[in-house]
Amino acid sequence: MNKKSNNSSANRLGRLFKKKEKLSLLEEEQLQSPFKSIVKKFVSNKVSFFGMITFSVIFVSVFVYPAFNPIDLSYQDTTQQNIAPGLSMLSVASELDGNVAQISAGGSFGVGLSKDGEVYQWGELSDKLQDIPEDMGNVVQVSAGMNHALALNDEGEIFTWGYDRQGLKRIPPNVTSSGAIVKIVAAQQMSFALNENGELFYWGNENLMSLKVGEHNGEIVDFVANSTTAIAILKDGSVVSLEAKSSAYSRIPEELNGKTAISVASTDGAAAAVTDDGMIYVWGNNKYDIYDIPEEAQGKAVKVDAGRAHFTALLDDGSVVSWGRDNVGQTDAPKGNSFVDISVGYYQNYATDENGDVHTWGLKGYLMGTDGFGRDVFLRLMYGGRMTMTIGAISVIIATIIGILIGGIAGYHGGKIDNLLMRFAEIIGSLPFLPFAMILTVVIGNSIPETWRIALIMVVLGLLSWAPLARIVRAQMLAEREKEFVTAAKAIGVKEIGIIFRHILPNVMTVVIVNITLSFASCMLIESTLSFIGFGVAEPTPTWGNMLTGSQSSKIIGEFWWRWVFPAAALSLSTVSINLIGDGLRDAIDPRSNER
Amino acid sequence: MVFQIAMQIISYKLKKRELFSGGNRVVKYIFKRLIYLVFVFVIISVVLFFVYKAVPGDPAAVMLEGSRLTMEPEQYDQQYKQLREKLGLDDPLPVQFAIWFGNVIQGDLGYSTQYRMDVKDVITQPLLNTIKLNIPAVFLVMIITIPLGIATAVKKNTLFDSTVQVTSIIGYSMPTFIVALVCIFIFAIKIPLFPISGVNSPGFEGEGMARALDTLYHMALPLIVIILGSIGGVTRYVRAAMIEALHCDYIRTARAKGLSEKVVIFSHAFRNALIPVVTILTGWVISVFAGSIVLESIFLWNGIGKMLIDGLVQRDFSIVLAMQLFYVVLSLLGNLIMDIGYAFVDPRVKLGG
Repeated sequence: MNKKSNNSSANRLGRLFKKKEKLSLLEEEQLQSPFKSIVKKFVSNKVSFFGMITFSVIFVSVFVYPAFNPIDLSYQDTTQQNIAPGLSMLSVASELDGNVAQISAGGSFGVGLSKDGEVYQWGELSDKLQDIPEDMGNVVQVSAGMNHALALNDEGEIFTWGYDRQGLKRIPPNVTSSGAIVKIVAAQQMSFALNENGELFYWGNENLMSLKVGEHNGEIVDFVANSTTAIAILKDGSVVSLEAKSSAYSRIPEELNGKTAISVASTDGAAAAVTDDGMIYVWGNNKYDIYDIPEEAQGKAVKVDAGRAHFTALLDDGSVVSWGRDNVGQTDAPKGNSFVDISVGYYQNYATDENGDVHTWGLKGYLMGTDGFGRDVFLRLMYGGRMTMTIGAISVIIATIIGILIGGIAGYHGGKIDNLLMRFAEIIGSLPFLPFAMILTVVIGNSIPETWRIALIMVVLGLLSWAPLARIVRAQMLAEREKEFVTAAKAIGVKEIGIIFRHILPNVMTVVIVNITLSFASCMLIESTLSFIGFGVAEPTPTWGNMLTGSQSSKIIGEFWWRWVFPAAALSLSTVSINLIGDGLRDAIDPRSNER
Repeated sequence: MVFQIAMQIISYKLKKRELFSGGNRVVKYIFKRLIYLVFVFVIISVVLFFVYKAVPGDPAAVMLEGSRLTMEPEQYDQQYKQLREKLGLDDPLPVQFAIWFGNVIQGDLGYSTQYRMDVKDVITQPLLNTIKLNIPAVFLVMIITIPLGIATAVKKNTLFDSTVQVTSIIGYSMPTFIVALVCIFIFAIKIPLFPISGVNSPGFEGEGMARALDTLYHMALPLIVIILGSIGGVTRYVRAAMIEALHCDYIRTARAKGLSEKVVIFSHAFRNALIPVVTILTGWVISVFAGSIVLESIFLWNGIGKMLIDGLVQRDFSIVLAMQLFYVVLSLLGNLIMDIGYAFVDPRVKLGG
């Protein structure tokens, strides 16, 4: 006996890479169990083995990754739409090392200003963003918005680049003529400028926010803007919302009355202010634990800044704290107490220390970009894969159970029962699959909740795809039932069901397994096709099929390639590798295939 | 090449007068199958009809929805009752089925609430469009795959064969819509050769030849997709069937007789390989038609697949039912053709009756 080949799977794998040992004639001729020989043959088939590895990797990752990374299915973010794949959002330009004057975080990029007045950009930059105006002179302030940026030079001139529709390009002439500009802010399709006289100017897509500066004009000393509103600090140190109608931002807490605010910030739904006694006040929508201000920050804060759903504060001892939403590590503030300035925006955080070095935390970028709703394609790909594979697997299990039952009974009994069951299988098998599945999901699935709809899709796929398996099982059954062991089983009084399923079935199992593998691939394909044309699993639950639904226009296919290339590649890779496995298994199981 | 083969087979059969000698039995066999298929058709119609009846919703109310606000309540009630009577909604279900089925047999497929026209008038053009797209595709695929399948079978285990094998697995594992996306990306966006959507250019005026050419131009991309999506699977089946046939004893006999390899392959092996190939091809042709649902929705090809989707979205069930019956009839016809095909290629069918 060759001891090494005994049974451990590690040895079996090891054989792949080791040189085959020289065996004596007796050892070569030893009998192998059918299972062993199948495994041996399968492993020796390089293409199928490659398929096996690919599929295992995909399978494990789509089930393991979602287990550790929760998804918020209703999450959408307009500021993160159609961002190209890349992880460079926090890669601050190296020229800024030890030389930082200011940093500003934009939707998917960052803009930095060096001490000598040069502007640098990093992250996912659109063509328009890359087109920085030349000859800006000595820039003293920069600001990055969702997809455009502003710069101010020492002569008081304002420059804008990046997204240029909605009137962003048209800087009102009175902005620079009415006084020296002290602060510029680029927000979502809006630009703001504040001059030394406390007058606030804004231009851009004014449909997005309804602002009413009115009586405050001339009193503003500082302000911030987010996607829907602007909040200002007035000369007397009070905080006001510049919104025309009342909203969450305008419910400024009463505790702030009579105190002097030195810094304000606003997320997408809440706002925060720091007063001169170092206290932080938060108001607005309490989402993502935005009210949970860290204890150690109270009484010590000097500056607060905000991203889309989190706040970061700089304390008087030079340390920083972050709180709020933590889906991409944007609240993992670095330890240390030598920070002198912070800059936060969207999902990025930058903190400058006293040496002028920049520390970053938060969103590095999206491995596979984002889709039209600003959702992470990679995360959805993993969840979608889990859904697609689950549906495929359960449909196959249903189909296998029905197929074995019907095929087994038909094959064992023969005669009239066989005829009837096989005619039934023929009818089911001859139904055009796709239209039928579409109609069943619409007719039945219209008035039930999504979870039930998904279950329904599994059942429909299972019910429509058992016929080929039943035919195969029946054929095998017909051959097996004439054999002696069946007669023996009958003679000792084994029940019919027992004979079919305990005695005959194990003998035809190999064929069944091949069939299961192949129909798993086809169930996945049909599920994706159904979801793709909108009759399967519906948004926002992701599957590989419905991730591709939105990708039919030529703009998306051409420009936002990451939105369809990754799901398409994942789906194709899985089905191709499953089919490779099935093919390899068939070759390994079917002895005749050697001749081919 | 396929044509040559077909001619060879037919002339061979004619020479032997085989085609007609078993004629009676063939007719009897086909007749038997026909009765069976009609039976299946009736059963499926019953199932379909009752599935649709189970859908919540009142067609009469839907049809009157538009004019509801302009009418007095009594007037509406009266019209509603009339309509229900006219549509036969108050009859017991079996009676409704009998009336509906009778109408369908006579070619009256009902009234489309979406288009406000008789269904049979609505579906004529889409039906033609779908056929226009799929029939050439079927022929092109056959012309490519049958010779390819034979060649790989004859040269099996060569580099050529294994390349085709692996590529064809990739081909048949890829969903059509992904093939379509990739083709659009390559042939319409990166290299703008073909238009992406429609049957004709928008606002196309020409008639006759010019129109046909324009349609052909729009057809190119969907055709390429269907062909790419089908080549893999069909080639593999042809190859498998051919290999099976080449292993039979009669091939050895034929070779032993000293027949030329060409005769052995085309006249002996291929004829026998045709039996499984016919089975597969029928199933495949049906799946091409079913698969064109997806392609029509991607390429905005105004065919029955797109009509089915629109009908389902608009809940216009007369159209959906008609489309469904079309697919059922198509698949049953496919089965019938398959049976006839068997009768032609498999002598045992004739003997067995």
